Formats: sequence, structure tokens, C-alpha cells
Amino acid sequence: MILAEANPLNASQLIFPTLEVFHIVGFAICVGTIGLVDLRLLGVGMNRQKVAEVAQDVAPWTLVGLALILLSGPLMFSSDPDMYYLNPAFQVKMVCFAGALLFNYTIRRRVALRGGAGAGAKLVAVISLLLWVSVIFGGIFIAFTM
Amino acid sequence: MLTFAQWVQFTRIATAIRELYLPYPVILSLHLSFIALSAGMILMTNLRLLGVTMRKRPLAEVVNQLRWPKRIGFLAIIICGLLLASSKAEEYYYNVFFWAKMSLLALLAVHGLYFRRDVYNRAAEIDQAGRIPGKAKLAAGLSLALWISVAICGRGIGYIEPPLDKLHAARGADALIAGAQSHAPTLLGLNKGRSE
Repeated sequence: MILAEANPLNASQLIFPTLEVFHIVGFAICVGTIGLVDLRLLGVGMNRQKVAEVAQDVAPWTLVGLALILLSGPLMFSSDPDMYYLNPAFQVKMVCFAGALLFNYTIRRRVALRGGAGAGAKLVAVISLLLWVSVIFGGIFIAFTM
Repeated sequence: MLTFAQWVQFTRIATAIRELYLPYPVILSLHLSFIALSAGMILMTNLRLLGVTMRKRPLAEVVNQLRWPKRIGFLAIIICGLLLASSKAEEYYYNVFFWAKMSLLALLAVHGLYFRRDVYNRAAEIDQAGRIPGKAKLAAGLSLALWISVAICGRGIGYIEPPLDKLHAARGADALIAGAQSHAPTLLGLNKGRSE
């Protein structure tokens, strides 16, 4: 609590909403570009391009989104650390986020770059989408579980 | 308009979304999930139009292949959005961010109609010309700016809580609302069950 009150972020009412906007735009870019590859793996969208091509095209923009998320998220957390730390939705979100990131840059990346096709690749796409959607659900539910 | 908003929010489904714990955050999460998916497609299309990314892929392939997935994404976003807005229709009537967001979405519709003929339906010709015209870049820049503004206003909606009680008193409309509420169907018999 001492931390929260001493935090200059809490000095202005506008700072938190501004961070939220960066966070939302960031995750829209990050999850959106990852989703583009997942949809391609599922046979939706950029089907005339190879999976690997789509994956390589979007990869830098995924990082842009991630950078926005990782810059704004911890700052938002610092505005009220106790509340977030003890919030079950936040805990679930962090676990899903870690899982989604890990999955994204290991298994899913390998499948996409190898030009994955077939049931296995589709399963990977579904798992990836589900993980990211869980992160979004976790984020929203932070405000609904106090 | 206000009367319509009050009617909408006492429909059975809007009441359910407002009064039960789960539906609102679940629909909101779905709203945002579809936004994220559509945002990826919008971003890549616009960045391709700006000549920033996917330069090896023909513009026509990016624009045309993403056209239908985007439309389906929009439809899903709109359905979720309508459900959310209906549950708090009267509050939103007084919410400046809500109207700002609706105006921006109207501008985006105008944007789509205006640039469709010269940009989005001409992607193949632009590819052949080998040069992206200024108008296409303008379309892309405007689209990105408008969508980011929509996101800002969307987040802003949640920060405004119009004092409905005071507004009702001021309008002398308390009786009207009470009347509407008493006619509103009790939700799945839940309220009744609790009071018994």
C-alpha cells in the first residue's frame, strides 16, 4: 500500500487510462498478428501465402505489440500491486500469459516455420488461440473479481 | 432516443446481462478477443497499403484474402457490442465516450465507402502500377488513426458513470422508470426465487 501511494503514477487521473489504451492497442496488435498466423494454420485468411511466409511477415509486429504490453502492464501493476497480486483473475492471466508466450515462441513457431499443415498444425493453432483468449478473459475479469 | 434506450435495457436479454454476474464480463472478453483478431487483419492490410510490410506479397492478395475474415470479425464484434450496450443503454445515452465511439465508427463506414472504389477494389491495378498511390496511403493512415481513436473511446466509456438517480429526479421520470421496471419480466424467475 505504501508503494501504491508513493507511486507518481497515481498522481494524475489520466495516467492509468492512458496506460490502459497502450495496453489494449498493444495486445490487439500482438494477439491480432499471432491470430493471423493461427487463422492461416486453420485455413482461414492468407491461404495463398505459405504459413512460414505469413509467420515471418507478422513476427516483427507481434514484437511491437509485445513491447507495448510489457511497457504498460507492469506500470499498471505498480499502481496497486497488492490488489493485482492477490486478484485470482490476475494470477490466472499471468499463468496463461506465460504459457501463451512460451507456446508461441517454441512449439507454435516451429510448426509455423515448417509450414505446418494437417490436424496437428490445426491443433496447435487452436491451443494458441485459446491461450491468448484466456489471457484476455483474465484481464477483463481482474475488474470483476475484487 | 432516451425512451428507446430505457426500453432496450429492460428487455429480457439486456436485463440478464446486467443483473447476472457472468454474462457481462464474458461478452466483454469475447468483444475484445474478436477486436484483437480483427485488429491483426486491419493492421497488416493498412501497413501493406503504406508499403511498410509484406512488400513481397501482392497488395491484392492481402486485401482480398482478408476481406471476408474481417467482415466476419466485425460482425462478431458488433453482436457482442450491441449486447453490452443494450444492458446499460440508458447510461450510455448520457455517455460522451459512447457517442464519440459511435461517431468514429460512422466515420469508418464513410471511410470504407469512400475509399472502396479507388483503393480497396483496385488492389490488383495498384499492384500492376508497381507504386502505391497517395490516396491508398491516406486511406491506410486514416483507418489506423480512426481505429486507435475507437479503442481510446471504447476504454473511455467505462470511466463515465452518469448519475442516473439525479438525472431521473431532474427529469421527473422516476415514476416512468418504476413503471417500466415493474413491467419488465423477472429474469428466469431468479429474483422471485430469492425473495421467497
